[in-house]
Amino acid sequence: MITLTGLTKRFGASTAVDHLSLDIAPGRVTGFLGPNGAGKSTTMRMILGLDRPTAGTALVGGRPYASLRHPLRHVGALLDAKAVHPGRTARAHLRAMAHSNGIPVRRVDEVLATVGLTGVAGKRAGTFSLGMGQRLGIAGALLGDPGVLMFDEPVNGLDPDGVRWIRQLMRSLAAEGRTVFVSSHLMSEMQLTADQLVVIGRGRLIVDAPIAEVIAGSSRTVVRVRSPQPAGLAALRDRLAARSVTVEPGDADELLVSGADVALVGDLAHDLGVRLHELSTREASLEQAYLELTADSLEYSGPATSPATGPATSPATGPATGRATSPATVTATSPAIGPDPQERA
Amino acid sequence: MSTVPTRGLDPAASSSPARGSAPTAGVPTGGGLAAGVPTGGGLAAGPPTGGGLAAGVPTGGGLAGAVASEWTKLWSVRSVWWALLAGFLLMAATAAQLAIYVQNSNTSVDPTDDRGVVALGRIAIDSVEPTQFAVLAMAMLVITAEYSSGTIRATLQWTPSRGHVILAKTIVVAGVTFVLGVLLGALGTLVAAPILGDWGRYEPTETLGDVLGVGAYLALISVFTLGVGAALRGAVATLTSVFLVLTVVPATLGLTNVTFVQRIADAMPGTAGLHFLRGDTDPYPPPVGLLLLTTWAALALLSGHTVLHRRDA
Repeated sequence: MITLTGLTKRFGASTAVDHLSLDIAPGRVTGFLGPNGAGKSTTMRMILGLDRPTAGTALVGGRPYASLRHPLRHVGALLDAKAVHPGRTARAHLRAMAHSNGIPVRRVDEVLATVGLTGVAGKRAGTFSLGMGQRLGIAGALLGDPGVLMFDEPVNGLDPDGVRWIRQLMRSLAAEGRTVFVSSHLMSEMQLTADQLVVIGRGRLIVDAPIAEVIAGSSRTVVRVRSPQPAGLAALRDRLAARSVTVEPGDADELLVSGADVALVGDLAHDLGVRLHELSTREASLEQAYLELTADSLEYSGPATSPATGPATSPATGPATGRATSPATVTATSPAIGPDPQERA
Repeated sequence: MSTVPTRGLDPAASSSPARGSAPTAGVPTGGGLAAGVPTGGGLAAGPPTGGGLAAGVPTGGGLAGAVASEWTKLWSVRSVWWALLAGFLLMAATAAQLAIYVQNSNTSVDPTDDRGVVALGRIAIDSVEPTQFAVLAMAMLVITAEYSSGTIRATLQWTPSRGHVILAKTIVVAGVTFVLGVLLGALGTLVAAPILGDWGRYEPTETLGDVLGVGAYLALISVFTLGVGAALRGAVATLTSVFLVLTVVPATLGLTNVTFVQRIADAMPGTAGLHFLRGDTDPYPPPVGLLLLTTWAALALLSGHTVLHRRDA
């Protein structure tokens, strides 16, 4: 359980995190989303006592992180996979970590096996690929068998097998009753992994809701109605409009209704005696719901960005909006994102 | 000893069905990446592959844990071993050179050159000045490498108490550099002895005192460097500052004839340390030199702790 109360962080004149109050519950995966610069990493750093909040508190299991005698036994975190001395071997890094919290050293080999790094345990971390570094960071997070786990962009640099592995690991950790708090830019991945969604923008809480609710609440989630009776369809449209429900005409024989569920539309159609050939919900993707939610709070957005765009324009306005604005960044990061041959070694 | 029950570690908590298994449970391992993906069945249903930490009340951690961690970190990077090697080579070379000087002076035709019989420990002490920078580099890396590699964030995650982090580093650095100093002092003495022959004086108590003095000096000056490193965070800034304070500034100040300025030079950490090592009675007795050096080390540590405490990692 992580409890944030009025958590605020200012850097000079800019406010990175603004009165964030939040409970992150155990037993489920909570996805942490927001545009670049929204304050996700700063929030995680404050939970770990690395950054000092300007105001408010961040508690882990009811206590500030800094007051824990064995913090690694309470909270495992992967914040920055590069936070390993490049000259130190993976095993030495984890041994030093184990010693600091009185964790038995045998645990080091256990977590190395869990993340599949046993074969390279004696290699210096500086020689690791991005994906291997992520795995070492995850090994560190698991070392103390903690009840709370935090991952900042854990699938960064992992190949598809690795991504699937992380997803299943997080699901299993949550199933064991642990608190799993994970930030990501990959919406499709979040949709598969998270139960609960926390979205922040400009340091403020935008949404804290179950993922199904977030998707259902999107204006891109629509009820599709098809009828062979054009007059009946028009009557249905008027009845819906009277309830201030948004109705868009689709093809000649269909209506796209947002803001009402199938039950309401079906009941109204029944009342009007309209014959229906289809009554279905077309769900928005998490990406669509997310872009809609954060449209007003983009910190770094490109000129081409328009809110709530569908997959058709996604290459320009994908989840990593900030990246699309800078070709240099795309070049720098894309080689690391693909499957890494070294990882198989 | 913490008595606070922790999720997954408290025996009572881990006996509940939901929390009984280690994080490894459900993620069978071995045989490469593909095998790391659970095969069939519920994720939580897989057999535990490790004991986790479920048994027993947690012990360790705290300052003792931080010290053990720092010790492990120190010896697991190559730069430390290079610094050690450099230290031993510098000491052996400098001691040999100084001993040869004495030998040459005493056997030259000009009697004014004569330095007579020289204490073996004195050769080791005079060799400390160039040798110390290898030791200081090692002490400095204990903190500045944390900032350059970003591991400071990991270290503070493992040991959230800034005081414990600084204290643990101090204990490890002081302990290691003291022993190293004693070994270096002994090495300098051993190298000088055969070269000086009859011109060298060996008295067990005196030589032992000199060798222990080298250990104490290097330990204190290393702790001073550690403190400066924690305050400045960068290797270049730290090494430059320490070099200036130890050698350049006192040498420059010493050039003037103004007594007050010379007093300042005498109070600098390097000068104070050398006055202590050489057993000088002027400008102050050796214990005062030791006290001055200790004060410098303590002040540097304090400023390092303040910076670590105040600033975000």
